[in-house]
Amino acid sequence: MTFAQALAVLRERGPDRAAESALLGQWLLAYAGLDAEAAEVTVAPGRAVERVALRDGQVSGIAHRVPWAREAAVIALLIDGRTVVVDRAAVMIQPHENIAGDARDTVVFDAVPARSGPGVDPDELFMRGALTRIALMAGSLDRVYEIAVRHASERRQFGRTIGSFQAVQQHLVTIAQQAALAGVAADAAARCPRGFEIAAGKLLANRAALSAGRAAHQVLGARGTTREHPLGLLTRRLWAWRSEYGDEHCWSTRLGAAVARGGADCLYPAITGGSAVVSVQ
Amino acid sequence: MLRFAPSELTDAELMLQAQVRDFLAAELPRGSFAPGLGMAAGRDQAFSRALATRGWLGMALPRRFGGAERSVVDRFIVVEELLRWGAPVRHHWVADRQTGPLILRYGSGALCERFLPAICRGEVSFSIGMSEPEAGSDLAAVQTRATRAAGGWRISGTKLWTGGAHENDWFVVLCRTSDEEDRHEGLSQLIVDLHAPGITVRPIAYLDGSEFFNEVVLDDVFVSDELVLGDVGAGWAQNTSELALERAGPERWLSTYLVVEEYLREHRGGDERAHAALGEAVAGWWGIRMLSLSVARLLDAGQAPAAESALVKELGTRFEQDVLDAVWRLVPDDPDPAAESLFERLLAAAILGAPSFTIRGGTNEILRSVAARAMRV
Repeated sequence: MTFAQALAVLRERGPDRAAESALLGQWLLAYAGLDAEAAEVTVAPGRAVERVALRDGQVSGIAHRVPWAREAAVIALLIDGRTVVVDRAAVMIQPHENIAGDARDTVVFDAVPARSGPGVDPDELFMRGALTRIALMAGSLDRVYEIAVRHASERRQFGRTIGSFQAVQQHLVTIAQQAALAGVAADAAARCPRGFEIAAGKLLANRAALSAGRAAHQVLGARGTTREHPLGLLTRRLWAWRSEYGDEHCWSTRLGAAVARGGADCLYPAITGGSAVVSVQ
Repeated sequence: MLRFAPSELTDAELMLQAQVRDFLAAELPRGSFAPGLGMAAGRDQAFSRALATRGWLGMALPRRFGGAERSVVDRFIVVEELLRWGAPVRHHWVADRQTGPLILRYGSGALCERFLPAICRGEVSFSIGMSEPEAGSDLAAVQTRATRAAGGWRISGTKLWTGGAHENDWFVVLCRTSDEEDRHEGLSQLIVDLHAPGITVRPIAYLDGSEFFNEVVLDDVFVSDELVLGDVGAGWAQNTSELALERAGPERWLSTYLVVEEYLREHRGGDERAHAALGEAVAGWWGIRMLSLSVARLLDAGQAPAAESALVKELGTRFEQDVLDAVWRLVPDDPDPAAESLFERLLAAAILGAPSFTIRGGTNEILRSVAARAMRV
């Protein structure tokens, strides 16, 4: 699966192990010169690890919030500038879920034999991770929009469809705007997957998740709050992804510091030119 | 479904952007003029003429009428650079943005000959004659009335919030020319000389004390038949398409840009709180600009993206206010409108200007209804 195909899968279909594996895990392995054997590789997010260390070809430590570790063939993580890969069968997994009910397992490495190779810059992994979340969020927001519009045009109260009420229409406009913003952000970040576009894209997607999610639940009313309604899985995932690979504070301060370094004369060129003008570190 | 297609500038468009930036840096360097906030910037006819010489006024108009036959996106590129620079655009603003395209679309050949070349040269200026005391968001309620006279019409009524009526040459007046069962029928657009006998212009002081807006009283003003724009009775549809030209452009999200740029210039890097505000602002501009650009592409493709325009204007104007609020919170004191610091003066001007962002050109409440209609709910 190519880079562009994998991002498109995430955007169109939602969470997909093969696509995420292609974008993150197999990318890490390829860089390290390790054979991935087309296996599904999950990646431990760099910021949720405890005392991980690589000694004499063996990994020790704990990694938290590892997506679907229980089902992966191998688990990859970055330790001290190296990509380290272990077989899932060799580690102890404590199953955990995020607020969407998706597997974010704790992986305990107890002197586990590992293969390793040169690692990417941890921040490059973090940015790629953010890119996967931007694609997922843009796709989910499109579906949230569809659900909200359909419900507003079908559900009748007071003898009319609720979409005929201006108060409800205002929520739909918010959802449409936020879905559109996340959509163009995902397009731009996929086209130019560099610091500025990823930072700005994740910021916009995070904000959209919050405001469109809130507006959509208001349109759907009590029905949208049930476990069985499709809206709930979309919003729960949006809220979880909002925190993964950088929340608003993380990306706004990084982006802001970068444009501040560029100075006043570069501010507008940065808005139009993105990473071609300013480097987000 | 709403259409916001991804879009990038072509090499030719990027070259135009670079040309405009070079022009501004050379002709209007920072520090050499008092920059303004977006559309509320200064008025300088010589500057407008300099733009005209470059072919940057009436850009999308045909060559036979003095235009450059360029695209909506090309105009977008020029306009966004002028606005973010705080350049004095007020003389040509309305004529270039809406009156020119409106006359081209609906006006007779004679009307096009008379006005379009002059607009493209930066010679004539226009105001907008839509709102009235009893017709704000509900424009079909206009009471200004034109009645038949020998060789033309005699028009009486009162227009309100007519920006620049005291300094411009003409205004396009939406008025009633007949009474019909459907009040959207029987309306027409007349081009009226702001210096004609029977016109009285009275200033309306805005929050900041400035007197840009006016009440214009028309008392039996004669308008010749040649100055009827489009068809008599077709004013509603024409006016609606004129409003579409007013929305979604860069002026709907750049009104407070310069406050942020000057903050950065005067405060340098700033602390983490400033960085967070700056990052949020830059991300917002980056995203909204892409949406706004995609609307310009739709216009170039011959589409009529009324709903998309309304969505972008609604989003952009609220964003302008949010950005302002974020920068305002970074400074400890309320700004002095007469401060030596340009940042402080711009901040003061923006705080007082901000309430109008979400009202002018269609209130956000109206825009949301326009957009919702397109969602078919």
